[in-house]
Amino acid sequence: MGNASSFERMLITGAKRIVDGAVLFVGFHWPMLMARVARRLHAPSIVVVYENGIVEDRLTPIFPTSPCDLTAAEQATTCAGSLEALYMWLGAGRVQMTMLEAAIVDRFGNVNTTAVGPYLHPKVRLPGSGGGTELASLGRDLFLVSASSNRRSYPDRVDYITSPGYLGGRAERDRLGYKPGTGPQTLVNPLGLFRFGDDGEMYGAALHPGVGAEQVRASFGWPIKIANNCAVLPEPTAEELSVTREELANARARSYLLPQE
Amino acid sequence: MNSKPVLTMREAVGRYIPDGQEVMIGGFAFSDPTAVAHELIRQGRKGLYVMKTSGGVLVDMLIGAGCVDRLLFCHVWNSVGPVPAHCFRRALEKGTPQSVEVEELSYGAFTMALLAGACDLPFMPTTPVQGAGHFIERTFLPNKFALVESPFGGGSVCVVPPVKPAVGVFHVHRVDRLGNAQLFGPAGEMRYSIAACKKVIVVAEELVDTEEIRKRPEATVAPGFMVDAIVIEPWAAHPTDSYGYYYRDLQHNDLYGEISRTEEGFRRYVDEWIVATGDHRGFVAKLGKDRVAELQLRKEPW
Repeated sequence: MGNASSFERMLITGAKRIVDGAVLFVGFHWPMLMARVARRLHAPSIVVVYENGIVEDRLTPIFPTSPCDLTAAEQATTCAGSLEALYMWLGAGRVQMTMLEAAIVDRFGNVNTTAVGPYLHPKVRLPGSGGGTELASLGRDLFLVSASSNRRSYPDRVDYITSPGYLGGRAERDRLGYKPGTGPQTLVNPLGLFRFGDDGEMYGAALHPGVGAEQVRASFGWPIKIANNCAVLPEPTAEELSVTREELANARARSYLLPQE
Repeated sequence: MNSKPVLTMREAVGRYIPDGQEVMIGGFAFSDPTAVAHELIRQGRKGLYVMKTSGGVLVDMLIGAGCVDRLLFCHVWNSVGPVPAHCFRRALEKGTPQSVEVEELSYGAFTMALLAGACDLPFMPTTPVQGAGHFIERTFLPNKFALVESPFGGGSVCVVPPVKPAVGVFHVHRVDRLGNAQLFGPAGEMRYSIAACKKVIVVAEELVDTEEIRKRPEATVAPGFMVDAIVIEPWAAHPTDSYGYYYRDLQHNDLYGEISRTEEGFRRYVDEWIVATGDHRGFVAKLGKDRVAELQLRKEPW
């Protein structure tokens, strides 16, 4: 079968954070694959909700290309709307874990999916927020997912805060009146797992096998701290790897673009 | 109740969406009424103010064809892949074929603004966005967010003003001659969006008898008294999906994403798939019987 790639390790580490039985708000892209892998491995009873109002409580026969691909609704128990999903379920605290892809994320967990460079004259214009703002503003146990270990994806400060993390630090988020229990808790990327300190700053908490501190520091746009008790994450099991590869094959068959290793 | 006019797409677009019109377009990456965008492009529309929560290929095409001056939205992309919405990017990064003024709301805030509009309320509480980009960067809607002190205690609350689009056009599944419009499956923000609009056009896959509507009244997203005009246009939402009717067309999304990488390629797409096909029936014929059969879920009329 061969060794796991760093991208596969990211997917498996993320999937393993999902607790069986939990209600999850799953955002677009790799979080959807992680939820499928978790459902097949150790968490068959998770309930996945999407921003358009779909409640998905079992493996859909077809891998949806996005939360709005209605193959996600084929086995649904509920088809409601955005008011239910974003406010009655997410905002009201009925969702236990919130999964959001974070293409560009800074020191305090602020996510940019809007624009690189000045907002009115962007160097690179990205899609914009969709419901990603709500996931970060309202979601409990916010789990950020990034397939990148490139320094450009981790600036010291993002150019535009699409999905608010701790803004300029945890004290600022608290002062502005965001609900307790919201704000990013964890980030997974190909290097490992990262958490957020008392000041709201991201730090290395556990790394994938073979990843060193120097490699981590080279991947972030600020002098990132690494915990003294930083753990080494386990090697994926053969079963974890084979299920993940099956789902990646399903994703490819559904027009997903996979990262070049 | 009186019957509502059943128009062709050409007539509806000609009558309700002239140059410079403010128009809300329904759908959230499913039930996007792409056939409306095609007809706007065929008629060479200019200067539109388009409102759309999820802007996909539909909004990208309108921008590429130079139909749009202003855009209010939550995101614009081609979510299959995903690949960039190339025309949107060219317009915002380079100003080609023309620059577009953009204003953005998060999906929750857009939902609440439409709900305020639908209920004729002065504002709605919404997602806290203080300190974030949506709160800080404002363009043509300088009052898109405000903070008010809760009269019931507990600090300040982020609020949005009502959005009341002049005209809205929405893809639905079936409609009767009275305008009772039904949509199955998830509805996103559609119920509030329809009710927020001053005039509503529904684009339905099928025209059915009112007795058929009565069998599933819970699926009615717009009672007839809220609807001004009806267009019957099968496959109107292609390449997005239509719950219970057809799947999302991934091949066509791939094709569009690839060809629209260049302005020249995009123009070729417009010529081949929009202008030369003449109308939406012609577009579906160009897709071909085999492709249609692969995507189709509902084979029989109600």
